Amino acid sequence: MTLNLDHFETSLLFAVFSSVVLGIVTKRTTDERVKYGLYCFACFLAALFGIGWFMRILHG
Amino acid sequence: MPATTVAATATEPIRSPFLVILLAWLVPGGGHFLLGKRGRALLIFACVLLSFLFGVLMRGPLFQPSGGADVLSKLIQYGGFLGDLAAGIPYLVVSFFGYAPPDSASHVADYGSKLIVAAGLLNILAIVDAYEIATRQKE
Repeated sequence: MTLNLDHFETSLLFAVFSSVVLGIVTKRTTDERVKYGLYCFACFLAALFGIGWFMRILHG
Repeated sequence: MPATTVAATATEPIRSPFLVILLAWLVPGGGHFLLGKRGRALLIFACVLLSFLFGVLMRGPLFQPSGGADVLSKLIQYGGFLGDLAAGIPYLVVSFFGYAPPDSASHVADYGSKLIVAAGLLNILAIVDAYEIATRQKE
């Protein structure tokens, strides 16, 4: 079995896994962890779409 | 004197930090599990293992502790190898069973390789967190 995920799908997976672990290890309460995890995920998405559009504009 | 005794007891590690680090490395989330943080242990286990599994299913090659002649290639290979190794048992299992896909030019395999390294790096974060909990620097 082989998966053929594209760049966007792989980035999304990375964003989810990283956000969960970052939320767990950096904050002290469950509420803070959830909020920070969501914040990290939003930042990953913003970077993903931001850099994507930047590259599109740059390359025309 | 009783206050001193209580303070001294409170700063003692719950478990041996060495044991916690070893278990946290071998089994992602194992350090947290040993310290009674079951929910966090499960989430860390799932994230590290899934990241590693997706990387393997995408046929991402593992880094080898060798490398080319130049310093940058060696740095990438050794750094990647340490990242792979940090995933613990998942890395040891796939290595034992001879997982060694060819280092192809496919972008999918390249993404897979990065997901495998990311799994190890996330596990390093979890190991540090477990160590801090074991030494009562945090809860």
